[in-house]
Amino acid sequence: MDFDFSDDQIALREAVARWVDRAFPFERRHAAARAGGHSREVWQELADLGLCALAVPDEHGGLQAGPIEAMVVMEELGRGLVHAPYAAAALIAPAMFVTADASLRANWLPRIASGQALVVLAHQERAARHRLDRTLCRAEPAPDGRWRLTGTKSVVPAGDEADAWIVPARCEAADGPVRLFLVERGADGAGVRGYPTQDGARSAELTLSGAAATLLRDDGAQALQLAADIGIAAACAEGTGLMERLLAMTAEYLNTRRQFGAPLASFQALRHRVADLKMQLELARSMSYYASMKLDEPAAARTRAMALAKVQLGRSMREVGQQCIQLHGGIGVTDEYAASHYFKRLTVLELGWGDTLHHLATVSAGLQGHAGVFA
Amino acid sequence: MNLHFTDEELAFRADIRAWVREHLPADISHKVHHALRLERDDMQRWARILGRRGWLGWNWPERFGGPGWNAIQRHLFEEECAMAGAPRVVPFGPVMVAPVIMAFGNAAQQQRFLPGIASGEVWWSQGYSEPGAGSDLASLKTRADRRGDVYVVNGQKTWTTLGQHGDWIFCLVRTSHEGKPQTGISFLLIDMKSPGITVRPIITLDGEHEVNEVWFDDVEVPAENLVGEENKGWTYAKYLLGHERTNIADVNRAKRELERLKRIARAEGLWDDMRFRDQIALVEVDIVALEMMVLRVLWADSRGRQSLDVAGLLKIRGSEIQQRYTELMMLAAGPYAIPFIREAMDAGWQGNQALGGLWPGGAAHCAPLAATYFNYRKTTIYGGSNEVQRNIVAQTVLG
Repeated sequence: MDFDFSDDQIALREAVARWVDRAFPFERRHAAARAGGHSREVWQELADLGLCALAVPDEHGGLQAGPIEAMVVMEELGRGLVHAPYAAAALIAPAMFVTADASLRANWLPRIASGQALVVLAHQERAARHRLDRTLCRAEPAPDGRWRLTGTKSVVPAGDEADAWIVPARCEAADGPVRLFLVERGADGAGVRGYPTQDGARSAELTLSGAAATLLRDDGAQALQLAADIGIAAACAEGTGLMERLLAMTAEYLNTRRQFGAPLASFQALRHRVADLKMQLELARSMSYYASMKLDEPAAARTRAMALAKVQLGRSMREVGQQCIQLHGGIGVTDEYAASHYFKRLTVLELGWGDTLHHLATVSAGLQGHAGVFA
Repeated sequence: MNLHFTDEELAFRADIRAWVREHLPADISHKVHHALRLERDDMQRWARILGRRGWLGWNWPERFGGPGWNAIQRHLFEEECAMAGAPRVVPFGPVMVAPVIMAFGNAAQQQRFLPGIASGEVWWSQGYSEPGAGSDLASLKTRADRRGDVYVVNGQKTWTTLGQHGDWIFCLVRTSHEGKPQTGISFLLIDMKSPGITVRPIITLDGEHEVNEVWFDDVEVPAENLVGEENKGWTYAKYLLGHERTNIADVNRAKRELERLKRIARAEGLWDDMRFRDQIALVEVDIVALEMMVLRVLWADSRGRQSLDVAGLLKIRGSEIQQRYTELMMLAAGPYAIPFIREAMDAGWQGNQALGGLWPGGAAHCAPLAATYFNYRKTTIYGGSNEVQRNIVAQTVLG
């Protein structure tokens, strides 16, 4: 057991933090949000730092780093409120290529690592809500050995900027196996419509009408579950960074703002609430570590660990988000001040990859004899 | 003790219901029922309709043109309006400044200002909070210096709700720096067209423009616009608080929105999800309990009795309930609450292909849900923050 970061991990954290300080002040983010949430420049800057290569195998030009490196990067991106589709494009997408055939890997992974190609998973369907096993999108084999996909995928992160989408689709029958397919931007039958999101970023609707696609991998259900688990661990880390910065901002406000002749920080009711928020932050950080350290477990244990982590993070993000706005008074609900933007991002993290109630059901259904970190 | 309405009260309610059904424009109630964006014109139209019937001042004394309803009747009127999808009456004129003018203003002020408020023609704003005076409102600094027959006003007000539409603003201003801060405050009525007034929008976290900053730069206000006596403004402001209590609990709106939450839950396939449904059930219990508390306060009022210890709870509870049902609506939509398409909250967008009028997944009812959840974080902050309210409640228990 070890809770220390390695020197390389510390250096990685500092590199991202320095970039955030230098190149990504709130004003830049605010301007990008107002412009519709696009930020291909930001993506290139992250690529220049080597971050797009983090999870790509070294044989394809990547850094082949592990879950702790990913966690460290996500924490710093959270702290800096960086709205790039990092988890989707740099952590999940490369993992989806792991069992793809060699030519696909050679074609895409180097370009993903360099930031040249933005590839994201497009899995959300209307009927599915938080479930991963309700794919209606259909895949039909085409005469040329490729496939044709028909269906609609929603809320695809940076979907209208992506160079390709990884699309789960069902084969053979309505209850047939789900496989993952690659659909390239500009493919016949593929239409995309982008829109801003509540957290100042951008997502898209992907409409597929017999869209030309390449088979990426056969084990779609398992791949989807892995994608969700990576996404949850990333959300936990990002949430931790967001909450840490939001609480720090709130503490600074409470120490500065005076009413009734005293700083707000001197009022005991508020001090106790701050203590409660610190509790939530540390519980969240603890379960974020737990999630990232369990990502290498066998699938069933890994998924169960992510459910536990998402429930804790959900409760913490809600409490910290809501109360930090409350503690700021009126300015907490303005667009001008950064606090509300942190709160909105925390809220969007709750809504993705299954919300607290969804994962509570998973935890509840899987209750077993022992509980505990090592259960 | 009983919970039955009298035959007279039932008949009254039926009359109100019929009148509202006939006079509430369908385009306005459609917007309210679907949480679409209300324009200034929508709010003013409804105000004028109520005004023509003499019901914009529904809680005014009869001698000032009020309909002479008792507390129960007023509650029934508010409930029928809310359930039918009427917009919330903009309270600053009819609910806030008018009672002060009636109680403490002179005859000339009553004749001059009350008709415009009663008819819905004149839009009023409230000038209370300042950047340095939020919860500690008494520490306000905007000053009004008497010079001959005018007051010269200098300072800045903030969080002025719908101030961009205001024709007039009622302000708490400092007219004395002696003694305790509360004893140097006056209540002044100011024409928003006066030279020296600047209004700047404050955009809230949902991207909407509903509050403002208002600057006063050597604004000359006729001395006759002072309400009551100089340096008695704080007393008049506190008088207002008593009027606000059951109104701000907003329990009637909560009942209507709970119905909408249930519709959304069904549309999202969550009606048979007991975990989610239990959350709705909990809010339902909360709303029924709040309505009972409101009724107890109204009953005490109608009997001329004080109920400050219970009345002080209404704003706290009402605001928390508002936050909970807006949160549940957003959670019901799940990922489909994530898109942020501002135009989708305009009536007429949905289905209008030329405007791209299709909400992701085709789920139009999801459009306003996250924005409303975010916007409603204000309810525990405004109107006297819930922290301040809890101090007041604690005092009623601890002395």
